[in-house]
Amino acid sequence: MNVYLQELKMAVSSAIYWTIGLLLMMTLYMMMFPALSKDVSAIQEIFNNFPPEFVKALGLTTFDLSNIIGFYGYLFTYILLIGSVYAMKSGISVLSEEVRSKTSDFLVAKPISRNRIVTAKLMSVLTLIIIQNIIYTIGAFTVAHMIATTSFNQSIFLLINVSLFLVQLFFVALGLLISVLMKKIKTVLPITLGIVFGFFIIQMLNQSLDDAKLAYITPFAYFDAADIIESASFDITFFILNMIIILIFTVLTYFIYNKRDMSSV
Amino acid sequence: MNVIEIINLTKYYGKARGIEKVSFNVEEGEIFGFIGPNGAGKSTTIRTLLSLIYPTSGSAKIFGKDVIKEGPEIREHIGYLPSEVFYYDNMRVVDLLKYSASFYPNVNKNRIFELAEIMDLDLNKKIDDLSYGNKKKVGIVQGLLHSPKLIILDEPTSGLDPLMQKKFFDLIREENKKGATVLFSSHVLSEVQKLCTRVGIIKDGAMVKVEDIHTIKNSNYKKFNIEMKDPVSVDYFNFDGVSDLTVEGNSVHFIFSGDMNTVIEKMVERKINNLIVEEPTLEEIFIHYYEKEA
Repeated sequence: MNVYLQELKMAVSSAIYWTIGLLLMMTLYMMMFPALSKDVSAIQEIFNNFPPEFVKALGLTTFDLSNIIGFYGYLFTYILLIGSVYAMKSGISVLSEEVRSKTSDFLVAKPISRNRIVTAKLMSVLTLIIIQNIIYTIGAFTVAHMIATTSFNQSIFLLINVSLFLVQLFFVALGLLISVLMKKIKTVLPITLGIVFGFFIIQMLNQSLDDAKLAYITPFAYFDAADIIESASFDITFFILNMIIILIFTVLTYFIYNKRDMSSV
Repeated sequence: MNVIEIINLTKYYGKARGIEKVSFNVEEGEIFGFIGPNGAGKSTTIRTLLSLIYPTSGSAKIFGKDVIKEGPEIREHIGYLPSEVFYYDNMRVVDLLKYSASFYPNVNKNRIFELAEIMDLDLNKKIDDLSYGNKKKVGIVQGLLHSPKLIILDEPTSGLDPLMQKKFFDLIREENKKGATVLFSSHVLSEVQKLCTRVGIIKDGAMVKVEDIHTIKNSNYKKFNIEMKDPVSVDYFNFDGVSDLTVEGNSVHFIFSGDMNTVIEKMVERKINNLIVEEPTLEEIFIHYYEKEA
């Protein structure tokens, strides 16, 4: 419990900034809805001048921008991207922070097992992400209700928002695994950005090429907002795939961290 | 009873040698000095005892329990001061010490303030603002605050000024009197001389010798400084029992252990201007050990 609380204390301010960032981005974008939804045909006109592959890659063809859920679904691609960067950053740094600040000799020499260290740190990251999701989702509902002129499907709207949490779980697990695989991570953000944007680009290719296989290798495709809007549910195959990957990454993290030599300073 | 039992402990970092077949015991209630030059494997041995790293082969027990299998349980009764101290920069000293205390059951929180008082440590400063010596003090306090049964100190005095060193040694002696066993690693031999009852000498990853400190100091090693009347050849004093022999013109220096009469007979044959026979320092004895045993 003491490690968990200590980790929370050290990470809470960063979680607050990222959550405010997400809320700000969502609010500013949604405020454009009343103006844009009136002129959807004009916007569509502009898009028609772009190469079709490009428009597809950006996901512009799949959303009905005149409808608030479609409009939100388009934005959500980028909410996912930012939320994923935060999750991955937290996942990578929570264990590797001890190596960077050279405090492993302090923590690991305490009467606590390696498993309990991983659990405490993992739980602290999850706690912050869950709180972030609750606050963000409440914010999104509030803003959507303020802006929507007609009623919209609340459960679809909720499903879209829950997908943020599920994708974040993937990146937390991946981040943890990377942090125990690499001997020393000097700076977290470059690796985080590289990997998250890598997955994001695969998703863009996936949308542009219509190659179904690509979808399996990027979590951004697992909970495609356009699909959720269409089917009003998650794709069960991808949902299970996501959970299995998270489980494997987490088990591997525990296993490797237990076997690992703490590097001396 | 042995508090620490190390049997054939070997650690390789990839292909690089850490330690090879290190074996020794530390008995309950003693202050055991662990001596060797930098890179000899002192920290490797200690970090294995704390299961910060895992041995390639061999085993170690503390309080009769395996250090890997029962690590967390064992560490409840260990106080460890690493050779390089690093803590969470953004924390205040007092918060770090309270965090440290929170890992142990039944810690008397007043002990933090007592120890800080003795070591003259400002509890309200941020870790980031501390000098190296002050960080070391934080390390000492966090290592002792839970009154451990076994205190493991890895090069504890670097960065402490002589006054603080003395206070620190007094503190260790006091803990020892209360029943704590101490493993004290150092490359500064005079420290060990002041504090320890037995010493283990490690060199190039292997144990050279474990000996009672008095045996080492009392064994019949004498340091000879002789001023001859006439120059002698190097070979003249090069006989059994002589080590560290230097001959520069008229002056001869060596360390001798063995039958004193052989040296006296040699000296009687020649004229001598001046003769000093003295107790060698521990350092000189160790150098001698290293040369002989390596």
